[in-house]
Amino acid sequence: MAVRVEEIKMINPLVPIKGKIIKIVTETPDVKTFHVTTENGKPFTPMPGQLAMFSLLGVGEAMFSITTQGENHLEFSIKKTGMLTDALHAAVVGQEVGIRGPYGNGFPIDAVKGKDVLFIAGGIGLAPVRSLITHCVANRADFGKLDVVYGSRSPADLCFKEDLFENWTKVPDMNLHVTVDRGDEDWTGPVGFVPSFLEEINPDPKDKVTVVCGPPIMIKFVMQSLDKMKYDHQDIITTLEMRMKCGIGKCGRCNIGSCFICLDGPVFTMSQLANMPNEY
Amino acid sequence: MKAINKSQIEELIQALAAEGQVFVPQELNGNTKYAPWQKGVQVILDKNVLLSPKDILFPQTEAMYSYVADNLNTAITEVAVAAEKQVIFGIKPCDVKSVRLMDLVFLTKGFEDTFYKTKKDNTLLVSVGCAKAEPTCFCTSMDVNPQVEEGADLALIDMGEEYGVEAKTEAGSQLLAKINSLLKDSTGQLIETTGFQIVFDGIEGVPEKLKGMFEHPIWDEICLKCISCGACTYLCPTCHCFDIQTKKIGKEGYSYRCWDSCMFSDYALMAGGHDVRPSKKERVRQRFMHKLRYFPERYNELMCVGCGRCLAKCPVNVDITRIIGQIKEAEVNGG
Repeated sequence: MAVRVEEIKMINPLVPIKGKIIKIVTETPDVKTFHVTTENGKPFTPMPGQLAMFSLLGVGEAMFSITTQGENHLEFSIKKTGMLTDALHAAVVGQEVGIRGPYGNGFPIDAVKGKDVLFIAGGIGLAPVRSLITHCVANRADFGKLDVVYGSRSPADLCFKEDLFENWTKVPDMNLHVTVDRGDEDWTGPVGFVPSFLEEINPDPKDKVTVVCGPPIMIKFVMQSLDKMKYDHQDIITTLEMRMKCGIGKCGRCNIGSCFICLDGPVFTMSQLANMPNEY
Repeated sequence: MKAINKSQIEELIQALAAEGQVFVPQELNGNTKYAPWQKGVQVILDKNVLLSPKDILFPQTEAMYSYVADNLNTAITEVAVAAEKQVIFGIKPCDVKSVRLMDLVFLTKGFEDTFYKTKKDNTLLVSVGCAKAEPTCFCTSMDVNPQVEEGADLALIDMGEEYGVEAKTEAGSQLLAKINSLLKDSTGQLIETTGFQIVFDGIEGVPEKLKGMFEHPIWDEICLKCISCGACTYLCPTCHCFDIQTKKIGKEGYSYRCWDSCMFSDYALMAGGHDVRPSKKERVRQRFMHKLRYFPERYNELMCVGCGRCLAKCPVNVDITRIIGQIKEAEVNGG
């Protein structure tokens, strides 16, 4: 049957279209960023914070946040953690892949507009947050002051070094605060965990939206710090992950209570989460 | 009311066969289930069968797309979904309601599931009401009418010696016209379904009460005897969770979906080892919360139709009706 894959995709949300890896950036020893395009250009145009199902045919399929997008491609920053991501890390430029999406609600851009934005991330948690940072940088006039508080285990484990130490440093009224759990001989920046580092910086909660993403343990202690600094949970946003299969709210597994992360999330405010079962 | 003699059921099925393949409840390989009708097949209408017809609309495994993955190169081809007309005859009202619930899952909330929709759009449901309940039936307690439920195209209502025949949809009316020669006018009355051994006072208040019971100690006890076998989710006509897997031999493969179970330990397990439902307690809680609270919150319907299959076949007698009772009686302080 001579139906083009793209046409099928329009009618069947569970079947991927064919994409191709056109660039691979090694971010850290276990994180690589994959640039993916299709023969018709960008697979689709996601909102910041949305997700896509990315597959290596014959190996498997998993949901990833779309780290950012270019004119003709999407970027996925992926940590090597399991069977599929191991195989992806072994892939080379030119590898054809499967892609479907976009899924999920994305960040509430309109609610953030006009406000200062505080981004707090740990490790690979910067990947989903980066989609919104990139959006804020590209539409700089729409947002107030931008602060990024980011930490990783070591200097080598910092993702997006080019953004952190070069691109974003040139953005007006944008401050980068980068810490590591332990330094090395070349590291002259701050050393310490994100929550205590955040308290040292002590950013003012006034007219601010905060976006938090990182390991569950970091989020737990960051929330304690934000509470100390009197941040309102309505203005704190996070983006969640869970095991997903369909991406369209049907296969069952990614629910928190009656919400599905793939459809109603992955972005929630802390006050929304407070009203949901503590199971994420 | 139009009616048909019970002795004419085979003629009726024969007439329905003109519409497409007719699935009827029958005994096959030691199980009772829905399978294609053939002349002479003993059709089971006096009680429900063990396997619901959910696999006709949502097969246990279903190929979604095939692919060729040859080194760097990939080609993806969607597997065409068979769109042949078919009839499910003899479906009981509880299972009719379960199809309605499946429709909510697969056809609403932003995305339509192509695989399900193609089959559902080509399927006629002809239900047959129940005159007598099985010992594990509790549909009336779950707000299901054992004679007729919304969702059937044509409903046969047990009136003793004959079945009353009612069209419930436009497609049902067309079907009714086609089988008119088999029907007669009747003044018979539907008989009240008898034999219920499990009758309780509905589940009013249960979804709301469960909002405050996520951390309740009740789950510590309920989960104890569960052996995580998944029989309940396999047999349940409303359970619809699925997994997506892939199989590659040489350069060629296909991706398929298959039934999954929230009772299984890898159901929510993520790469890296994080699991939001790491033990039986969380998994059992998820199953009952989903049926009795989350699904009602999302779709305004309970995700249990009272068919009793899980009661009948659970190897350790986990009993949803007893759990509903426990929830009703549980003491809850605050939220």
